Amino acid sequence: MDPLLSVRDLKVEFDTRHGRVTALAGISLDVMPGETLGIVGESGCGKSITALAMMGLIPNPPGHLTDGQIVFEGEDITRASPRRMRQLRGRDISMIFQEPMTSLNPVFTAGDQIAEAIMLHQDVSKKEAWEEAVELLRVVGIPEPRRRAASYPHEMSGGMRQRVMIAMAISCRPKVLIADEPTTALDVTVQAQIFDLMRDIQEKFGVAIVMITHDMGAIAEMADRVAVMYAGRVIEQGRADDILDDPRHPYTSGLIGCIPALGREAASAERLPPLAEIPGVVPPLHLLGAGCAFADRCPLVHDRCRRERPPLAPHGMAAQEFLGGHAVACHAAEREIAA
Amino acid sequence: MGASGYILRRLGYGVILLLGVVVLNFLLIHAAPGDPAEVIAGEMGGATQEMMDKIRADYGLDKPLIVQLGLYLGGVVTGDLGESYFFNQPVIELIGARIVPTILLVVAAQMIAITLGVGMGVLAARRPQGAWSAFVSVFSTIGYAAPVFWTGLMLIILFASMLPLFPVEGMESARFSGGPILYALDVLHHLFLPALTLGIIFLAQYARLSRASMIDVLGADYVRTARAKGLSERKVTFKHALRNAVLPIMTVAGIQFGNLISGALLVETVFNWPGMGRLAFDSVLRRDYPTLLGVLFFAALMVVVANLLTDLGYRLADPRIRTGGSRK
Amino acid sequence: MTDVATNPPQTAAAPAPAASGPAVEAVSPLRESLGIFLKNRPALVGTAILAIILLALLYGTFFVTADPYEIVWAPMTPPFEEPDYALLGTDYLGRDILAGLLTGGWPTLAVGAAAALLTVGIGILVGALSGFFGGWVDDLLMRVTEFFQVLPALLFAMVLVTLFSPSLATIAIAIGVVSWPQTARLTRAEFLRIRELEYVAAARSIGAKNSRIIFRVVLPNALPPLIVSATLTVGVAILFEAGLSFLGLGDPNTMSWGLMIGQNRGYLLEAWWPVTLPGLAIFLTVFAISLIGDGLNDAFNPKLRSR
Repeated sequence: MDPLLSVRDLKVEFDTRHGRVTALAGISLDVMPGETLGIVGESGCGKSITALAMMGLIPNPPGHLTDGQIVFEGEDITRASPRRMRQLRGRDISMIFQEPMTSLNPVFTAGDQIAEAIMLHQDVSKKEAWEEAVELLRVVGIPEPRRRAASYPHEMSGGMRQRVMIAMAISCRPKVLIADEPTTALDVTVQAQIFDLMRDIQEKFGVAIVMITHDMGAIAEMADRVAVMYAGRVIEQGRADDILDDPRHPYTSGLIGCIPALGREAASAERLPPLAEIPGVVPPLHLLGAGCAFADRCPLVHDRCRRERPPLAPHGMAAQEFLGGHAVACHAAEREIAA
Repeated sequence: MGASGYILRRLGYGVILLLGVVVLNFLLIHAAPGDPAEVIAGEMGGATQEMMDKIRADYGLDKPLIVQLGLYLGGVVTGDLGESYFFNQPVIELIGARIVPTILLVVAAQMIAITLGVGMGVLAARRPQGAWSAFVSVFSTIGYAAPVFWTGLMLIILFASMLPLFPVEGMESARFSGGPILYALDVLHHLFLPALTLGIIFLAQYARLSRASMIDVLGADYVRTARAKGLSERKVTFKHALRNAVLPIMTVAGIQFGNLISGALLVETVFNWPGMGRLAFDSVLRRDYPTLLGVLFFAALMVVVANLLTDLGYRLADPRIRTGGSRK
Repeated sequence: MTDVATNPPQTAAAPAPAASGPAVEAVSPLRESLGIFLKNRPALVGTAILAIILLALLYGTFFVTADPYEIVWAPMTPPFEEPDYALLGTDYLGRDILAGLLTGGWPTLAVGAAAALLTVGIGILVGALSGFFGGWVDDLLMRVTEFFQVLPALLFAMVLVTLFSPSLATIAIAIGVVSWPQTARLTRAEFLRIRELEYVAAARSIGAKNSRIIFRVVLPNALPPLIVSATLTVGVAILFEAGLSFLGLGDPNTMSWGLMIGQNRGYLLEAWWPVTLPGLAIFLTVFAISLIGDGLNDAFNPKLRSR
């Protein structure tokens, strides 16, 4: 099966006061039709930039997409005209954001904001668009959708606003839905409801979901496949079950250690102390040297890690050839596997 | 709380505020040194004791202050602001003949300032580091620092001799003959320079404010959402961002009304605009208390009405205010 | 693992964290702001303009002891025509414009500074009491503030100045009396914000008196926006004084830039310089002060600046 959306060697740089800084240092990802790809990492690792790049929304200036491709249904959208990109945005690829409290425009009603997206991409009357918006609100599980369509965002709870965002995002039956930390700002109980809703939507419309998160729990909950990012690179990639049960990169192990073991089979928790924290922080991107970016925080670090950056490929193979498999960019893991 | 309840409450508050201002002005003016009877008698040709007593009796100046205040307040409530000491005309007529040009000037200046100012600010915000943005910043500092009467005089030099496109004096052409439409155009023609002069200071402030506000709003999450929908940058800017960016500008525009009237006093002097400025000036110099109190009352009235309209406009523009009351 | 946790990673490429630790604490916020201000080119230009204006006024008053009332040449002599007698020309009476420029700034600047001081003084007092105590004090003071905001300031000042006979002092007081509400509102907002912060609660818990909390704890932290506002208030007060003088309501015994414009405006179309030059002086003064105010604002809010 061909991927629906594939990112190849994508490089994004930002102009900052420290000069030009690399935010994405050549990442490659594939999104298959109807699947959920989780992209996980700490803040500053480049996962949100990846999402914005897929939407063609890297702010320029200061951002520059300097290399690589993003191929959607055979078309390299990094070369698409702004006009073509606007057609794709919201219609074929849509996105929901982390902050439902601030992601809806406070001066327009929920219905208006959904209907606006519908009218933009479909040839329908204002009335039809409004009816469709009401129907979408019903689909995303909002009670009294007709009344709620006429409500303003400030009259709704955070969970309800995120449902409105989802309704807006699926209004044109997109093929890819990018969800950037969709539940981070919400209560735990509401989080579970939103995940349920996203699974329902996926089942109903067959949409592929790219789920951006810092939370391995959310990955465990939602993802079919996972890409772990660190300092602008994918450092481990594979099927969600494989990675959760058998993380090979010490960073991934650390992230999994950060999941409260509640409700999860503690298969991996045996190997690491529960709730272990990864010491240190993601290094500033302009200070990255030639070695592995994780070296300074890594419990398994050795000399080679500081000299030479490990490639993301099992035993010299290209990562994308290894789609179903489990790729990791770590010298230590490679040694372990080789041994 | 419903909208009508809100309006009623605001109206009631405005009335109380105005009455308070009337009392304050009245007491202030009567606390000032100087005897109006003496001034009036002096103008009539010699301040004899006899004459001054008669004048005091005529204008009720011999009564205790509190009685005078009571009589005055009673008059204000019934629309009687007394009679001018000098023009021998009811104050309300004097003001009635001059308030329309002042309102015309103030409103025109405000409209020029808001449309041009917001336009400049929005364009600047689209490229905050660009040349246009730098120009707007410099221009707004210059426009703010130039004394309004001086700007007016400079425009007169420019337009009186070098570029005679607009009349530099008065509100209508001498010996004007023509229908009402032509008359209106003639007035607008005369209005242009005074309104522009007065508008420039405020234009500068609105440009700076809307640039900042727009930069703020363009970075908001909901603007990113609008882009993610696939909206064009024009729609994102002018529909989604601008609607939010104008909210702080509306607040400031309401506050500025008092300052606009202050500026109008100077601009009217510069352009011989037949508004309340001259009347205010004359009545204060001549201690024409009834006229002065009337001018102050109407100035305050204009500010109160403008603030009320601003509040109502804000309620229409921001749904969070409109329905916020029921949730909190 | 614990070993790594207690020793944060430090590479040779990143000496910054080690150096910034004690260094950051040594630089006080005020010093830091001063540093930012000194790197702000427009603010330095403003400071330079203002310094030149002040030096020119000092020079005119004490070295050449110019007399702005003396008739030196024929009325309305254009600039540079009689450089020995009236370098910048004469006004409608034949008085030297340069002499007026070199001396007429004092009333403007003095009234501007005094009025700004008064404005800020009243404003801070009212705003501080209102914001700190809240409740009925706040209600009462805010109602009073509204009364003062309903009357157009220049009209009100005009009335005050005329009724209490114009002099530099009455003008300064009048401007102060009509201008304080904005400062009061700003101070109140700052106090409302700061009084909720932890160090105020801490001061309360050790039994500090209200006056001490207001002036020693809250006020110093509210100062940055107030300093910026006070600077800009000087500019506004100067424009105010100029307007009153222009109308002929200034101190009749003192030559000032505004008065020069007002007296010469009837001859505007015959002689542009007696009107244009004093106006330019007022404009440059206020412009310089605005640049300084903006510079201070940027210095106190470096975050806003980077946008």
